[in-house]
Amino acid sequence: MTPQDFTTKEINTWCPGCPNFGILNSIKEALAELVNEGKISVKDTSLVAGIGCHGKIFDYVNLNGFNGLHGRVLPVCLGIKLGNPDLTVVGFGGDGDTFDEGVSHFVHACRYNADMTMMVHTNQVFALTTGQATALTEKGFVDGSTPLGQGEKPINSLLMALDLGATFVARGYALQGPHLKELMKKAITHKGFAFLDILQPCIVYHKHSVPYLTKNVYKLEETHDAGNFSQALERVREWDYSYEKDTKVPIGVFYQTERATFESQWPQLKQPWHTIDRKTNWDNIIREFK
Amino acid sequence: MQKTILIGGEAGLGTAVTSHFVGKIFTSLGYYVFNYRDYPSLIRGGHNFNILKISDKPVYSHEYKYDFILALDQKTVDIHKKDLKQSGLVFKAKETEPKILANNILIGLLFKYFGVDLNILFAAAEKTFGKNADLVKKSIQEGYQLDSEKEKLKKLKPKCFISGTEAIGIGAIAAGMDIYLAYPMTPASPVLHFLAKRQLENNILVFQPENEIAVINAALGASFAGAKAMVGTSGGGFALMTEGLSLAAMTELPLVIYLGQRPAPATGLATHTGQGDLKFALNAGHGEFLRVVLSPGDAQEAVIRTQEAFYLSNKYRIPVILLSDKHLAESNYTFDEIAKSSLPIDRFIVENPQEDYRPYALTPNGISPRAVPGQGNFVVRANSYEHNEYGYTIEDSAGAVKMQDKRFKKLPYLKKEIDKLNPISVYGKGSNLLISHGSTKGAILDALPQIKNFRFMQISYLKPFPAEKVAKEIKKSMPTGRQAKKVVLVENSVTGSLADVIKEETGITIKNKILKYDGRPFTPDDIINQL
Ligand SMILES: Cc1ncc(C[n+]2csc(CCOP(=O)(O)OP(=O)(O)O)c2C)c(N)n1
Ligand code: SF4
Repeated sequence: MTPQDFTTKEINTWCPGCPNFGILNSIKEALAELVNEGKISVKDTSLVAGIGCHGKIFDYVNLNGFNGLHGRVLPVCLGIKLGNPDLTVVGFGGDGDTFDEGVSHFVHACRYNADMTMMVHTNQVFALTTGQATALTEKGFVDGSTPLGQGEKPINSLLMALDLGATFVARGYALQGPHLKELMKKAITHKGFAFLDILQPCIVYHKHSVPYLTKNVYKLEETHDAGNFSQALERVREWDYSYEKDTKVPIGVFYQTERATFESQWPQLKQPWHTIDRKTNWDNIIREFK
Repeated sequence: MQKTILIGGEAGLGTAVTSHFVGKIFTSLGYYVFNYRDYPSLIRGGHNFNILKISDKPVYSHEYKYDFILALDQKTVDIHKKDLKQSGLVFKAKETEPKILANNILIGLLFKYFGVDLNILFAAAEKTFGKNADLVKKSIQEGYQLDSEKEKLKKLKPKCFISGTEAIGIGAIAAGMDIYLAYPMTPASPVLHFLAKRQLENNILVFQPENEIAVINAALGASFAGAKAMVGTSGGGFALMTEGLSLAAMTELPLVIYLGQRPAPATGLATHTGQGDLKFALNAGHGEFLRVVLSPGDAQEAVIRTQEAFYLSNKYRIPVILLSDKHLAESNYTFDEIAKSSLPIDRFIVENPQEDYRPYALTPNGISPRAVPGQGNFVVRANSYEHNEYGYTIEDSAGAVKMQDKRFKKLPYLKKEIDKLNPISVYGKGSNLLISHGSTKGAILDALPQIKNFRFMQISYLKPFPAEKVAKEIKKSMPTGRQAKKVVLVENSVTGSLADVIKEETGITIKNKILKYDGRPFTPDDIINQL
């Protein structure tokens, strides 16, 4: 299997040079390698996408997929796991999608710990609707809907994920493809809910993040202990998604742990439901009403 | 034989459990029982009551005239004594008795009155209360000794006692449902509890996600993955689900939505009944799309209609809304037997799709063969954007028209199928006509023998609407020449929205309406008096 096998014939409508292309390349490489390593099977893998520029990735990856509603990637992912626990499920959301419209689902996804992956294309704007501020946009940002400047501090999504019990918390940078690919592979093979924040500067509506991130992004050192929760907390706090002053922006796996998955609480959730041939034992069903 | 019993007490005293237990004993003795439940939205205190109408002939409704009042507290006597028949009796629990056992003492008293053998009561207690039956039995016996037999109840052929909620639950199980998702909301939550309790023995999965938006999106994810899914809610939750309803239509993923109505806008009368969401069910969701809206009239019909809901949803790949209300959901009905539909349990998933599988393949009847991920070496895609046959996003005008047409192509086939499923039922004889849908059926059926020259048309399929059948039936009762005939709509709502639906679908105007919107269901008297 090669990354090209995941290519579709659809015309790509992202802006030329958009870092989303980097994410697309990395996911195709990650999927191809995971298939070749026997870690996933193509037919048993499904992606789920939200609505926004990020969501177009649905059309560009030749794989089972569900392009749902804005903000609802996570419940669809969860539903797919409930519908067929054997499927590998990978969600792609925008930061607006995940932390504005659908933030309640993110809160619960971290708690549930279903065995699935959520990748968020963090560009700190609603790009597809022409650049309004999201919950991750820095204070002071000016756009069409907030001409007086964004008034609030952004959410630190990694901190939130850690606090809510996500069992895999990582951040990648769309412009560092090989590193991102490795993170994707780790996230997808993690057993439990994996949250991968991907910095994906929008080069139209959030231009200033490209030079900033290129200057400040660095990889967590080998010595970082991803099993240490308080170390992880400390490291995700290093950058608060703002641009006021130069602050180092760590990327890599901040935290990884094991916890019983959501699916494991259901003894009856063992095989894809569609493989079960159901018969009705009517007399049994109505006995209690006699 | 016909008796009406009111059982009342503050919340927490066991009014509902006691009423069900009493009803169950009467049905096991072969009597028909209708059990109506009335309670406010609180957990302790207040005033709850049930009305049991018991008869040796089928009975589908309650009335507010009692032969017996079983009062678990003084308030029950104070409130309801005015409705006691002249020869009626009040059995009141003594304040000194432990509250939980007081109910059973009254049960002992009641059945002694009817000369029912103590062993029958004991057997029923064991069946219902299992390990805790001993205490119950003791207090039943205590009550039994307090009075003497006044009437001897004949034993008839035992009957089945079932609520609308239970009927929907077993209908779903019989239809081969795999997954039920719901966020609690009265009056739909009892289905959640019923199915959750029985999930392991029936090998189904029941889960309560974080909100109704998650519920419907997760259900569609499950449906995409190949599970037969159902969600349940009431008006407020359904409002949150409407974007997902539209998604179900666009992705052509089967989904059954149970909508238990309660009255009034917003939070409304949370624990009461109404039919005000008919038009909402018919029109909810953005964009134009096909749906089925079904409205069963009693528990037996609820079993069958639930099975039909799954069948049609999976066969046509469309959302199906199963409309109910608090009255249907929380009342117990009695039937000689409980029947199921003869429709097959079919997943309508193709066995061996070809390599070039197209999830939205254009076909003569608009139904694309459905495959699910993992089945084979092909890609299955569901897309909320307009899409081509493969599920890739499109924006071109010709493609858009093709797909909009494709989804609507199913309509004539669906209509034909529904024609065979008794979309309307006509009861009784007479040149005048009563029309309704849903839970009003019970009171109308019980009123019918007491009103002269009326028949009753119950409409069970509200979308696609059986317009021809309905129009034909109404026309038989349209005033002709000097003959004044009446067509009257009966609805638990402020506006009588079914009349608007009939007007839109058939062009016929219905002027006479009997409406009730105090949150309480109709009794036969409500209808008789207004006619
Ligand atoms: C319910 C709903 N509200 C609003 C929209 C309009 N909308 C489309 S994309 C989008 C924002 C996308 O922002 P984000 O999720 O951050 O993705 P990006 O475009 O930045 O990748 C919005 C608000 C919608 N499709 N659905
Ligand atoms: S608007 Fe921004 S995020 Fe969207 S495609 Fe263009 S550069 Fe990428």
